[in-house]
Amino acid sequence: MKPIPESFPEISLFIARSHSTTAVNQTGSWRFARPIYNEKTAPCSAVCPAGTDIGRVGMLAAGGRLKEAAALILEENPLPAVCGRVCFHPCEAVCNRARMDESMAVHGLERFLGDLALSQGVEAPPTEQRADGRRVAIAGAGPSGLAAAYFLSRLGFSCDIFESAPEPGGVLRWGIPAYRLPAEVLAGEIARITRLGCRIHCDTSVTSSLLSEIRRSHDALFVGCGHGKSIGIGIPGESMITDGLAFLADLRRRPAAAVQGRVAVIGGGNTGVDVARSLRRLGARPILVYRRRRQDMPAFPPEVAMALEEGVRLMELAAPVRVERADPGYRLTLQTMRVFETDDRNRARVCPDTAPEREMMVDGIFSAIGAEAAEPWQQPPRSGAGVLKYSHLQGDTRDFVTLYGGDLTNSVRSVPDAVASGKQAAMVFDTLLEEGAGAVSGRLEASRVGPGPSLSMEIYRGGPRKDRSPRVVGWDDLNPAHFLPAPAGLPGRLDLNHRLSSFSEIETTFSETTAVEEARRCFNCGLCNQCDNCRLFCPEMAVAVDRTRQIDLTYCKGCGICVVECPSSAMDLVEEQR
Amino acid sequence: MKQVLEGSHAVAEAVRRCRVQVMSAYPITPQTHIVEALSDYCADGSMDARFLCVESEHSAMAAVIGAASTGVRTFTASSSHGLALMHELLHWASAARLPIVMAEVNRALGPGWNIWTDQTDSLAQRDTGWIQLYCEDGQEVFDTTVQAFRLAEAVNLPVMVVMDAFFLSHTFEPVEVPAQETVDRFLPPFKPRIQIDCGDPCAIGQLAPPNVYMEMRRSIQAGMEAVPDRFAALEDDFETLFGRRYGGVEAVACDDAEVILVVSGTVTGTARQVVADLRREGRRAGLLKLKMFRPFPSAEVRRILGPAPKIAVVDRNFSFGAGGIFAQEVRAALYSLPRRPTVFGYVAGLGGARHYPRYHPNDI
Repeated sequence: MKPIPESFPEISLFIARSHSTTAVNQTGSWRFARPIYNEKTAPCSAVCPAGTDIGRVGMLAAGGRLKEAAALILEENPLPAVCGRVCFHPCEAVCNRARMDESMAVHGLERFLGDLALSQGVEAPPTEQRADGRRVAIAGAGPSGLAAAYFLSRLGFSCDIFESAPEPGGVLRWGIPAYRLPAEVLAGEIARITRLGCRIHCDTSVTSSLLSEIRRSHDALFVGCGHGKSIGIGIPGESMITDGLAFLADLRRRPAAAVQGRVAVIGGGNTGVDVARSLRRLGARPILVYRRRRQDMPAFPPEVAMALEEGVRLMELAAPVRVERADPGYRLTLQTMRVFETDDRNRARVCPDTAPEREMMVDGIFSAIGAEAAEPWQQPPRSGAGVLKYSHLQGDTRDFVTLYGGDLTNSVRSVPDAVASGKQAAMVFDTLLEEGAGAVSGRLEASRVGPGPSLSMEIYRGGPRKDRSPRVVGWDDLNPAHFLPAPAGLPGRLDLNHRLSSFSEIETTFSETTAVEEARRCFNCGLCNQCDNCRLFCPEMAVAVDRTRQIDLTYCKGCGICVVECPSSAMDLVEEQR
Repeated sequence: MKQVLEGSHAVAEAVRRCRVQVMSAYPITPQTHIVEALSDYCADGSMDARFLCVESEHSAMAAVIGAASTGVRTFTASSSHGLALMHELLHWASAARLPIVMAEVNRALGPGWNIWTDQTDSLAQRDTGWIQLYCEDGQEVFDTTVQAFRLAEAVNLPVMVVMDAFFLSHTFEPVEVPAQETVDRFLPPFKPRIQIDCGDPCAIGQLAPPNVYMEMRRSIQAGMEAVPDRFAALEDDFETLFGRRYGGVEAVACDDAEVILVVSGTVTGTARQVVADLRREGRRAGLLKLKMFRPFPSAEVRRILGPAPKIAVVDRNFSFGAGGIFAQEVRAALYSLPRRPTVFGYVAGLGGARHYPRYHPNDI
């Protein structure tokens, strides 16, 4: 090949091009609005009673920083492996992702990280606090008492938990069946709490003499005894009805005998559902008898759905009237109820229907219609001088600082609400003893996650989370163009036959791959996840990244593109003050 | 080596061998097979290129304009409504003197909704400053795509490689696909004359006052005027390496012709048969295939058509109120001759309608 002849004259190339650097054009002088980095509050974390920083947990886990993610949960919640299993996850109900495809499976990720923390020995995040001789006594080693001990220990308190049962855990140990919460998971999380130095005194009821001793030896008392006594049903033949809570506790103490035949379980709460599902596993054919409708049941809907899947039957609008011995078994007489009105939350109010009473022949009857404080001294004070009321606590400072929490005070009786009580108690004790009563409400207010009532220990301790705006990020604040649809991860589940033949746990923990994929679905609402969009989209190259992100105001012309292209609403455009 | 390739894949294969660095496109029938193949090449690693997915043809052209401004070799493809949507940025690409190559598959514009071939889409872009090269078959599509990069980079103007929908884009033909090394010898790495440099920030394409703007337009015209010679020179090299050349126009049996058919695109094949048949019957018919439409090869058209008494231009396009667009251009080219042939314009084959090799003896 002959060489390419390049004898042509150069082609005319006359274009518009500046011959000085564009840096002379200080486009910042055009600006009348400026972008700011302003992290906000994710809706999930605002509704999490435990105040878990879910958006940041998702961000860390998505980046493979799993131990850090687990430690971040432990900053706010001592029981992630438990909550990942039994929490009703209100976070998922408000997840912005639901507007795109499905909510993020927060509980699945939490359970994975909780289990990872146990298997890899992730401890409670250290604090700068040193033990300083302040002592708090805690009545009850249930979730609120354990949480109180956890947070108080981390704030430098010395804690003694007094538990009447032979093992700690409260309702987690004795009220929730193993198919939902295996004992070793609970034991692992409790061990992490006791490693902080608090002491659990089992088989130790808080008697009046012990109370007097506590008043001498401790600075304050937290009462988190829960509702240990079942509410009686108050109908003729009540003595023939087995107490559901006691039945569940017996199941956790010793192997249960098989139960045959048809049994009635009276109640519509989680305990009733757990009793019925346990009876099903023991061989019985349980019927849940509830005076209202399925949609009115206080039990968590997924639990009801799984119970029905397992063959538990549900009889709605039926109230027990009397129990009589029959041979064999019992005759349960029921009054048919009807809905006469619904309240503003669409929950039915019922009254006896005109239909005649019905009879049901059963081999056993269990009741789980609710529980209450087992002893009068566990009752929180109603009102009066020196009585304190907070979102998850009530207190009495009249002669000895005493705070009541957990199911004794909470309108929602759940594990994360109990954790909220324990955390709030730790903050109140700490502020009360350090700064005095006048400072308490201000410190609690300042520790809120978003609009509250959830509280953050990280914020209380002055961590970076305190710098976030309390504004809760909604769907309209996000830029969904930067997110791709992806289905939520599903945990493995035991098939029905295996479920019915054992008390083995039904759902499996996510694999690491599934957990990380699930975390990647998190929008990190309100948080900067270093996606770099602000820098990449800036037409003036005015975003500098040097560990933190900064706007170069010499060139930022206030166009707001960075704010629009921020997928998670971690930026705002504010008017320039001149 | 000869491969049986779909016309669309002949383009894609050529683009791969031209070592294009950045591509962006939005799918539209009948162009989609081109970019599908190219995105596959990017995914399987056989091309070391970035394929930018965008939400519209307007953005596709904007993306390659941005990429070309950084001095990399760029490619896009479109058709019909997609090309129409690019219109604004077609002007930008040429005035910014960016050597972008685009495969443009001729397809009718709606309504009526029609995906078949029709040249009106590309000819409607004749004043955007793009070089336009029309192709007859799969081999020409491959070769023209390779030539287009060298031509575009030589004159700093964008090139549209134009091909008929389906008759070419979706038809499988044997295509000689040269070895990578040979293509590399023909097309060396791109040496940009315009290249954004972060180390020396400047503005390009900014405000141009009237006198400057006028000079910029004159410069584009100067680039266009250089095309025929540059194209001829690169075809010399191409012929040396590959043994084929096309010319801006191709004349068949025109020397003594009484009537010359003027055609472009795939209908050329039909016209070749008609002219051969007429010659066998002793009729003095000739054929002029127009490959280059912009710049219009006026000098060659005058030289070849000037001596013939009658010219018949077959247009698969329509400028409403004026007629076939090639016929107008041919008439304008011949106008300066002292004795001009009579030019008959025929509009045929719009929206994919067929051309049949039938004629009435009295028409000649």
